[in-house]
Amino acid sequence: MEAVGQGATPAVRVEGLWKRFGEQVAVAGVDLEIPAGRFIGLVGPNGAGKTTTLSMVTGLLRPDSGRVLIGGHDVWQDPAAVKARIGVLPEGLRMFERLSGRELLAYTGRLRGLPGEEVDKRATQLLDVLDLAGSQHKLVIDYSTGMRKKIGLAAALLHNPEVLFLDEPFEGVDPVSAQTIRGVLERYTASGATVVFSSHVMELVESLCSWVAVMAGGRIRAHGPLADVRGDAPTLQDAFLELVGVRGAAGGDSLDWLGGGAR
Amino acid sequence: MTTAAVPSAPSAPAAPSAAAVPSTTAVFVRLKLSLLRNGLRQSTGRKAVWITSVVLVSLYAALQVLGLIVLRGHAHVGALSVCMAALLAFGWAVMPLFFPGGDETMDPTRLVMLPLRPTPMMTGLLAASLVGIGPGFTLAVLTGTVIASAHGAAAFAVGVLAAPLALLVCLSLARAVATANVRLLTSRKGRDLALLSGLVIGVGGQFVNLAMQQLNGLGMARLEPVADVLRWIPPGSALDAVRAASEGSYGRAAAGLALTAAALAALLWWWQRSLTKVMTSPDASTIGAAAASTGKERASGPGLARLLPAGRTGAAMHRSLRYIWRDPKTKASWVSGLAVGALVPIVNAAQGAESVWFSVFAPTMLGLQMYNQFGQDGPAFWMVLQTIGSPRDAYVELRARALAFSLIAVPYVTLVVTGTAAFTGKWSDWAEVLGLSLALLGALFATGALASVLAPYSIPQDSGFKNVAPGQGAIAWFGMLGALVGAVLCAPLGALAIWLHVAGAHSLLWILLPLGAGYGLLTAWLGLRLAAPRAVGQLPEILAAVNKG
Repeated sequence: MEAVGQGATPAVRVEGLWKRFGEQVAVAGVDLEIPAGRFIGLVGPNGAGKTTTLSMVTGLLRPDSGRVLIGGHDVWQDPAAVKARIGVLPEGLRMFERLSGRELLAYTGRLRGLPGEEVDKRATQLLDVLDLAGSQHKLVIDYSTGMRKKIGLAAALLHNPEVLFLDEPFEGVDPVSAQTIRGVLERYTASGATVVFSSHVMELVESLCSWVAVMAGGRIRAHGPLADVRGDAPTLQDAFLELVGVRGAAGGDSLDWLGGGAR
Repeated sequence: MTTAAVPSAPSAPAAPSAAAVPSTTAVFVRLKLSLLRNGLRQSTGRKAVWITSVVLVSLYAALQVLGLIVLRGHAHVGALSVCMAALLAFGWAVMPLFFPGGDETMDPTRLVMLPLRPTPMMTGLLAASLVGIGPGFTLAVLTGTVIASAHGAAAFAVGVLAAPLALLVCLSLARAVATANVRLLTSRKGRDLALLSGLVIGVGGQFVNLAMQQLNGLGMARLEPVADVLRWIPPGSALDAVRAASEGSYGRAAAGLALTAAALAALLWWWQRSLTKVMTSPDASTIGAAAASTGKERASGPGLARLLPAGRTGAAMHRSLRYIWRDPKTKASWVSGLAVGALVPIVNAAQGAESVWFSVFAPTMLGLQMYNQFGQDGPAFWMVLQTIGSPRDAYVELRARALAFSLIAVPYVTLVVTGTAAFTGKWSDWAEVLGLSLALLGALFATGALASVLAPYSIPQDSGFKNVAPGQGAIAWFGMLGALVGAVLCAPLGALAIWLHVAGAHSLLWILLPLGAGYGLLTAWLGLRLAAPRAVGQLPEILAAVNKG
């Protein structure tokens, strides 16, 4: 399963990552090396530990034990170097919602230490490409889900990070916005950057990613190039269901009144 | 009451027979009762609050009725009852705007999928409105005014008509206002408005308080000119009819009742019209998607941005200032801080306690705004977290927030102290009070920055009254202890002031002004310096603490 190119520094290296919330173990010893310059999918059912893992990798949540290196820098030892290299779009998308889209970008860029003129130039281009120029003066709180994901993506891309972490970037997004986001991300990875995103939509992961990691029960069940993980299964969906141990449930007779002619 | 037309397709054999369908009115009343009951079931705390408020409202209503009965025969009781009716109607009219969550049956869009015609629906909703604490209180007060002003059988007969009529006017007013504004109430702006309800109660309470004092001092004769107008405006006209009938002018009584009945009819007509419109037009999400950007919410001014320093300092300052204006919770906190800071010295001076020292309320209230900074960011704090990599970043971030607040606080404190000195004429105290005020402001900024880092807690964003997330009350109190520490930090300056007074060195008191300003700057700087490295080490823990809203 080792798929990382020999010699090259992995974009992300995770060693023995653990996180407990009270009695519940959310992440139970994750070891992972994510190759650079790829579109990486982190897939798994709800409650698999995807969000917890991504939060710990991006420095938003302190792990109980384990180590995370991004581009060779330890997330907890050298936060300044790591934070300058990553962009994050967390789940839930709580941003400074009382700023307009443009104000949010102007604010984020300056907090990142970019010169004001450069921030404004990049913001204009990002708003244009992401089709937000028409709503740039609307408050983010009045944005739709798709617009929020797009402005969150713009804020995460503003400082041109090496690695971009996206938690469910396509959830609740209309197809048009999804295509826009996809286009921007494909252009971004083509230039050598790495995108890591979590999802439970297998078709999407299959069509976008060249490398996937499957998570369930707080552990990595499989990882590697898409073809390796898929194996002999016809689709990633089938491979995934097999890996997490779910079989198609029989309907039984509990809903036998549903459908058909009789009411 | 007829039942709603149930569209029964001929192919549906199991359509319930007409006899089995309860009347819409009964269904709505039962719905309201269930909503009340289930609201209580959510927690014992809510049950306790509800029972307490029932007891308090009943007691208050009983006192009102008793008071009105005692006033029976008073020369101006007619004017009083008319004014009370107007006040009640006003309360009912604004209630749905500030407490939209109070009655879930108020939002007719929840019923939009049900096959109901307007008339049975309105009757049902109006009947449901009659259930609750509010209508009971209103009816009690209205009955009290009737008892107070009715003399003779004819007047009581008019009163029996007038009180329910006035109640119905209040209820349909609330319903009509809620329905006409349902788009606003379910929108973000409406929710923002509701978040200011705490402020409205506080300010409204002060006004009522002030008005009561005026009444006590000058007597109810003051109400007569107001009542002369209000007695022609429903529902006051119905209560004025009781007075008119007591005096034997039956024509006037009939006119008053008719006026109120006409108002009720007009309100019902307005309500029905808005109801039909609301139920048959697309909802806010559709309209919002179709509307092009108006560009109305333009930045609060590139001018301000140009005046602020570049980089993180300017960006963070600008955001803090924008949030004071745009975030309803932050706005409410600042408005009440500014109001209390100015009102305490003014009210005290007006009541004869003429001391410039009351103006230290201004730096106290504004300095407290620095507390729980990251809790005010809420879940959005991760955006700040992502950009803090070193103690220097954290220091600049905290300093920017303190600077933004100083832009308002320093001129305001100066203004309040100077204004109070001018008002009381005690200019000799001006320099020392201003000096100590600035020192206190700096000390509160220092302890506020430290408390923000050491004791962060979430501020629930959905309620105008709750300022601490459940389970974090102790943390909030611990943070507020910091305010006491802030006051203690100013002790050396206070001691110096006392010593100068005792030693009779009054000519040297001016020295407290530059000393206080310098001391404030120094403590603020020290506090930020101490807080910054701790913030860097605690970032994920702070995020977890402020993310519970």
